[in-house]
Amino acid sequence: MSETITFASPSELKTALNQQQYIASDEIATIMFLSQQLGKPLLTEGPAGVGKTELAKAIAGATRRELIRLQCYEGLDETKALYEWEYAKQLLYTQLLRDKLQETFAGATSLSEAADRLANEEEVFFSMRFLLQRPLLKAILSKEPTVLLIDEIDRADAEFEAFLLEVLSDFQVSVPELGTLTAVHRPLVILTSNNTRELSEALKRRCLYLFINYPSIEQELAVVRMKAPELSPKLALQAVELVQSLRTMDLRKSPSISETIDWAKALVAINAKNLDQHVLETTLSVLLKHENDLQRARRTLLRPSQGNDFDDLSNFRRIDRQN
Amino acid sequence: MDERIVHFIAALRAGGVRISLAESADALRAVDQLGVMNRDVFRYTLRTTLIKDSRDLPIFEELFPWFFGVQTPPPMQNLPEDLSPAEAQMLARALRQLTDRLRSLLERLLSGQPLSREELDQLSQMAGMDRADDMRHREWMAQRMQRLLGFKEVREAIQKLAQMLQQLGMNRQRIEQIRQLLQANAQALRDQIDQYAGQRIAENMSQKDPGDEQDNLMHRPFQALSDSDIHKLRQEVQRLATILRTRIALRQKRAKSGLLDAKATIRQNLKHGNVPFQVKHRDHDLKPKLVAVCDLSTSMRYCSELMLTFLSALQSQISKTHAFAFINHLEYISPDFAGNDPSKAVEQVLDRMPSGHYNTDLGKSLKQLVDSHLDLIDHRTTLIIVGDGRNNYKDPRLDLFSLLTRRCRRTIWLNPEPPSLWGTGDSDMLQYAPGCDHIFQVSNLAELNAAIDHLLSQA
Repeated sequence: MSETITFASPSELKTALNQQQYIASDEIATIMFLSQQLGKPLLTEGPAGVGKTELAKAIAGATRRELIRLQCYEGLDETKALYEWEYAKQLLYTQLLRDKLQETFAGATSLSEAADRLANEEEVFFSMRFLLQRPLLKAILSKEPTVLLIDEIDRADAEFEAFLLEVLSDFQVSVPELGTLTAVHRPLVILTSNNTRELSEALKRRCLYLFINYPSIEQELAVVRMKAPELSPKLALQAVELVQSLRTMDLRKSPSISETIDWAKALVAINAKNLDQHVLETTLSVLLKHENDLQRARRTLLRPSQGNDFDDLSNFRRIDRQN
Repeated sequence: MDERIVHFIAALRAGGVRISLAESADALRAVDQLGVMNRDVFRYTLRTTLIKDSRDLPIFEELFPWFFGVQTPPPMQNLPEDLSPAEAQMLARALRQLTDRLRSLLERLLSGQPLSREELDQLSQMAGMDRADDMRHREWMAQRMQRLLGFKEVREAIQKLAQMLQQLGMNRQRIEQIRQLLQANAQALRDQIDQYAGQRIAENMSQKDPGDEQDNLMHRPFQALSDSDIHKLRQEVQRLATILRTRIALRQKRAKSGLLDAKATIRQNLKHGNVPFQVKHRDHDLKPKLVAVCDLSTSMRYCSELMLTFLSALQSQISKTHAFAFINHLEYISPDFAGNDPSKAVEQVLDRMPSGHYNTDLGKSLKQLVDSHLDLIDHRTTLIIVGDGRNNYKDPRLDLFSLLTRRCRRTIWLNPEPPSLWGTGDSDMLQYAPGCDHIFQVSNLAELNAAIDHLLSQA
C-alpha cells in the first residue's frame, strides 16, 4: 500500500472525496478535516441511507488507508469487538507441546518447583499468537494508519457504548495478560447512528458531530449524475424531483439517496425514455419498500396523468347521469 | 475573539443546550485550526464541536448571527445636498411646528444619523431590557424601544411635514424626495434597533446564571407549570432518562462479573478433564422489562403529557418496555413512541385519545390487558401503573388486578395525588393499594426521579 495522505485544507479534502465518487458539501469537508486535525472521532447522524457509511468508505479511499468496519448490533460485546483468547488453539498447543513440557518438568524435585517452571513459560500461552484480534484491536495495533468505521452505534447496548469511551478517548486497550496496548497510529474514527435511541452524553462529548440530512435537489442530482452517468440529464432531473416530492409526503419510510441511485440504475437498465405511468408502475418498488407507501405514492403520482387523459370523458359521463 | 466565543457558549447554555467544558475547549482548539476568516467554515467549526444533538441545531442557528453577525448599523441616506437655502428654510419652518419629541426624531432621520451605542443602551434600559433573556421576547422588546423613540407617530409626522411643506410652496418632486428619504431612514433605524435588541438579549443570555431555575422546577407540582416550563421539563425528563440509562449500564456490568458458578464451570470443563479453562460466572440477566399503563383521563390530564414523555423516554432506554394508555378502553401506545420524536409522539397519542366526561374505566382496561396482552406479563415484568385510581364508581376489577400483580415481578403505582385524598370520592386507590409493592406519590419531577431510581435499582 502506498503512502497515506493527510490533507492540508478542507477544500483539498473535498476534491479528494469527489474523486472517490463522493459529493461532499463544504460542511462535511470542513468537519472531516477538523476530525483529522484534532484526532477526534466523528459522529455522523441522520436518516438511513444518506451516505453516512459511504463517507467512511470514501475517506478511507481518499486517504488510502485501510477501512476497518465494526457493525454494531444488540448484544455486541467486548469479545466480538475487541479481542478474544483463542482457547481451542491454546489447548491444541498444550496437547502438542506435552512432550516439551515434560522435559521442562524433568528433574524438578518438588511440586512447587515444577509449578514455578511452568509459570516461567506462561507467556508462551498468553502471547499475541493466541489473541484473536477483533476490529477495534485491529485498528489500534495496525502498523499502517487506518480508518475505523463503527457502524450504527445506536444498535449496540448502552453498556458497549460505555466501553467504547476508553478506546475512543485514549486509543488504548488493556488486556490483563499482556498489559496496555497503545495505538501506533491514531485511526480516523467515524461513528454512524440512525438515531433510533439517544446516545450517552459522555460519548457525544468525545466526538465531533455531523448531522447529514437529505440532500438538496442540486446535490442529489449531482450524485445521480455521478453514479448513473448513462441516465439522460433530463430524466435524471425528473427522477430526482420526483424523489424529493416523495420525501415531502408522509411516508413510513422516505426514499434515501441510495434508493434514488438504485432507481436511477433501474431506469437505465429498463432503458426508460421518460417517466410515464408504465415505467413508474414497474419501478416504483425500488424506491418504496412498504406496501402502504407504494399504494399511497401510486395514488398521488398516477392520478394527475389519468385525470388529464380521462377528464373530459368522465365529465361527459357525469352529465349523462344527471340527465 | 475567544471571549466572544465563550459568551456565545454561555448563551447557548442559557438556551438549553448542554455544553461541557471539554466541548468548549474543543471548540476553541478547532477554531485555532481553521481560523475565523471564512464565516461559513467558522460556523461549521463551532457547530460540530458544540452541538451534539440535531434538536439543538435551531437554537445554534438562531443565536449565531447575533454574536458573529455583521455589526455595522444599516446605512442611512443623507439629505440631498442640493437643497436651496429657500427650501432649507421651508423645511426648518415646517419642522418647528411639530412637537419637540417628533422634531428631534425627524431631524435625526433627515440628517441620517444612526443611534449611538449610549443612546441604544439608555433606550433599552428604559424599555426594561436588562432582564430580557429569551429570544422570543426580541420583537416585543424592539417594539417597545421604537415606541419610546416615538416611531408610532412618525408616519403621521412625515405626512404632516409633507403637507406643511406643500403649503409653504415647495415643489412636489422635492417633497416626495424628502418623504422617501425619511421613510427609508426610519426603516434603517428600525433595523438597527431590531439588531441591537437581538444582540442585547443574546448578551443577557450569556450572562444568565444557569441552573437556578432547574432546581426550582424539579420541586414545583405538575399543576403549577406554564407552557414554557413544560418545555423545559420535557428536556429535563429526557436528561433524566439518559442518567438512568448510565445507571442501568453500570448495574448490568457489575452483575456480569458476579459470583463464580461452580456447577456450570465443572460442566463446561468436563471435556478438558475438569481443568477449569473456562470459568463460568453466574450472570444476572435480569434486564428490566416494563409494562406501563397510563391513565389519560380528565383528572390526570394536567400531568399526562409529562407522564407520556416520561414513558417514551423509558421506552427509548429500556428495550423491553410496553406502554399502554387508557381512558375508557386500553390502547397500545408503544408503536407511537418507536422511532418518533417524543414530543410529536405524545401529541399524537393525546390527539387520538381525547378526554371525555366521567368515562374513566380502569376495570375494563384491566380486562383488556388480561385478555389480549397477558403474555407480556411474566415473572420478570415490572408493572407500572400511572394514574389516580379514580374509577367513576365503576367496578375496579380487583380480581384481575390481583391476577396481574401475582403474575408479575413487581407492581408499582405512580399516583399524583397525596395519600390523604386516596379513597375519597370515586377513588379506589385504597382497594388497589394492598396489591402494589410500591406506591409513589409523584407530583413533581424530583419525586418522579426518586421513584424511577427506586424502580431500577431493585429491578
